[in-house]
Amino acid sequence: MPLPKRMVEPVLVSRNTIPDGLTLPSELEAATNGTLANIIRQLSSLSRHAEDLFGELEREAHNLQDRSNSLQARIDRLAIKVTQLDSNVEEVSLQDIHMRKAFKSSVVFDQQVVSRDTMPTAMLETYQQCDKPPPLRKLNPYRDDGKDGLKFYTDPNYFFDLWRQEMLKDTERMMHDRGKKPHRPRNEGGGGRHKKRPRQPHNTRERQRQLALGQGEYLMPQNVDYRTPQRVQHPDEALLVMDPRPPRPNSIEIRRSYPDHGDGHYSPQPSIHSQQSQYGQTSQYGQPANQLYSQTQQYAQQHLQQQQQQQLAQQSQMNSTQPQPPLSPTDTSHYKSNYPGSYEDSGYYGTDAYQSPNSSIYGRSAAARANSQRPSQPPPAPPSANNSSNSTPTGTSATNTPTRGRSMSAGRDTLPPPPPPPTEVTSNGPAVLPGHLLNRTNSVSHSGSRSGSPHSTPTPTPPRQLSRDETPEPLHNDILPPPPPVPDMPPAAAPPPPPPPPPLPSALPNGQLGKAPGTTSPPLNINGDIGKSPNKQITSSPPKTSPPKMGDQVAARKVHNIGPVCDTRNDLLKAIRDGIKLRKVEKIEQKEVERVNAPLDVASILARRVAVEFSDSDSASDSEYDSDGWVEQETSA
Amino acid sequence: MASGHREAFQKQIQQDWANREYIEVITGSIKKITDFLNSFDMSCRSRLAVLNEKLTTLERRIEYLEARVTKGETLT
Repeated sequence: MPLPKRMVEPVLVSRNTIPDGLTLPSELEAATNGTLANIIRQLSSLSRHAEDLFGELEREAHNLQDRSNSLQARIDRLAIKVTQLDSNVEEVSLQDIHMRKAFKSSVVFDQQVVSRDTMPTAMLETYQQCDKPPPLRKLNPYRDDGKDGLKFYTDPNYFFDLWRQEMLKDTERMMHDRGKKPHRPRNEGGGGRHKKRPRQPHNTRERQRQLALGQGEYLMPQNVDYRTPQRVQHPDEALLVMDPRPPRPNSIEIRRSYPDHGDGHYSPQPSIHSQQSQYGQTSQYGQPANQLYSQTQQYAQQHLQQQQQQQLAQQSQMNSTQPQPPLSPTDTSHYKSNYPGSYEDSGYYGTDAYQSPNSSIYGRSAAARANSQRPSQPPPAPPSANNSSNSTPTGTSATNTPTRGRSMSAGRDTLPPPPPPPTEVTSNGPAVLPGHLLNRTNSVSHSGSRSGSPHSTPTPTPPRQLSRDETPEPLHNDILPPPPPVPDMPPAAAPPPPPPPPPLPSALPNGQLGKAPGTTSPPLNINGDIGKSPNKQITSSPPKTSPPKMGDQVAARKVHNIGPVCDTRNDLLKAIRDGIKLRKVEKIEQKEVERVNAPLDVASILARRVAVEFSDSDSASDSEYDSDGWVEQETSA
Repeated sequence: MASGHREAFQKQIQQDWANREYIEVITGSIKKITDFLNSFDMSCRSRLAVLNEKLTTLERRIEYLEARVTKGETLT
């Protein structure tokens, strides 16, 4: 149906020209006069349209004239320049060739040619006569899903967003598939999104929807029928994407700022999460914010130090007592379990929820996380437990430390501290340590970590440890002889007695150091009874206990990181972790940037896509696949 | 009387027909104007479009030539 651009207004000029209720001397004349009046109206309307028409033409012609004028000027300039050209003079040196600016076209392509902005005024007038959609916007405050109610009624950008989303997703997927980043494929595989699998069903569903819509049906967005089995196939995705509705372009969101849109429920997001969860690192929630990163980083570093101490201590004991392997599984499982839990808590997948806690004070978030993840922190505390029972500490440590860090540290630890084994033999008190004790230690450690967390820089922590170590030790040393600790231990909680003895023998070689460990242990027990205050002592204690095995190192540590061995280890560990994290964060930031810059218009989207396609030479399948996408796109649209 | 009445009616009707013819002429010319305006609009637009196209290609060529001829600004 052709849509008239301009309408000459009164049609049917002769109708209703005779006024009712009036006796007229001559009806024929009245009709004639009425008709003539209407014709005059028509003429006025026509002249208005003509003016508009000529105006448009004039504007266009003027535009062209401007362009041709500027073009003429360019041509003239060019002519002059050409005459000045001299082939004998090399204008660009070889070095300068590399420094040449890349050619950048100034040609602007028309896009969105049929958008509302380009609607001719005449048609706009007609358009204005249409009824406005019901004011569904007013109901927005009462929607708790944050969608724009009006968008369910009418959404002019629906198809563009659909297309845009698909294109962006495709390009992203292509980039991932190309294996630019080794992590991606793994994650995607975990998410169950293989190249072709998800796409087919998605499109069919869309098509079905379009069909239904085309037939005049109105589909409630909640309609579950149109969900394809795809969701079911990939439980992971289902979990991650909490939104129960079939995918709708994000345009429906009330706040439509595109840059933010990534935060909503954009597919790439989940991948980040899964990635990080796999790593089990502290930098969770895929927070791009630099602050967060730095915080987590520091936190991780603190972590590291504590862990190292702990591990050293434990390492010695492990040699004698238990093998780690059994513990590792618990480790990983622990982490995994933690993450899903946190997700569920957050419920909605938007990162916003995460941001607030993280961005606020790290301590808070740490506290929140402490219950689940923090375990990593507590490890330091358990070392204190070492005094009492060897077995328990190992267990706790294992659960606490991330697998990777642990394994590495363990291997490394084994190398340096070889000596300890003999003395440890005593470690029997073992499992005796009750769960609550462990919990207590954990909680203590949590609190400690929390207090420590506020300090942004990693440096602060070491000093603290120093203070801890120094203060408790000297006191204990002075007060108590090595043996006495043993008797003290039992009262504390459990089987502690065994551990103290080992320190003695080991201590003997070291001398003072050996004494120190034993002595320190008693206060621990006392403290444990008291409550959290012992934290410091507990944390400090581990080094003491460990000393039996490697006295020198322990001493060095007491001094603070001084021990060269420790430093190297720290550095190594830090380097490794930092490296990993750095890369990760880079990726995240890149993504962020990409998302922020996410092209909003057809040209940029297409350009990006083309660039991607050109850049990969090996993806024949991809291109064909893409063509499929195009076709389907067309059909669906 | 009857003949006088009839004449009056006939006159009125004749007058009416004359008026209708007049109106018809006017509306017809309005249509013509409209037609002319439409055709004029169309032809103008098509010509302008052609011109626009030529201008665009010319601009591209000029741009290319300029890029070729310019000394090439270096980044430094």
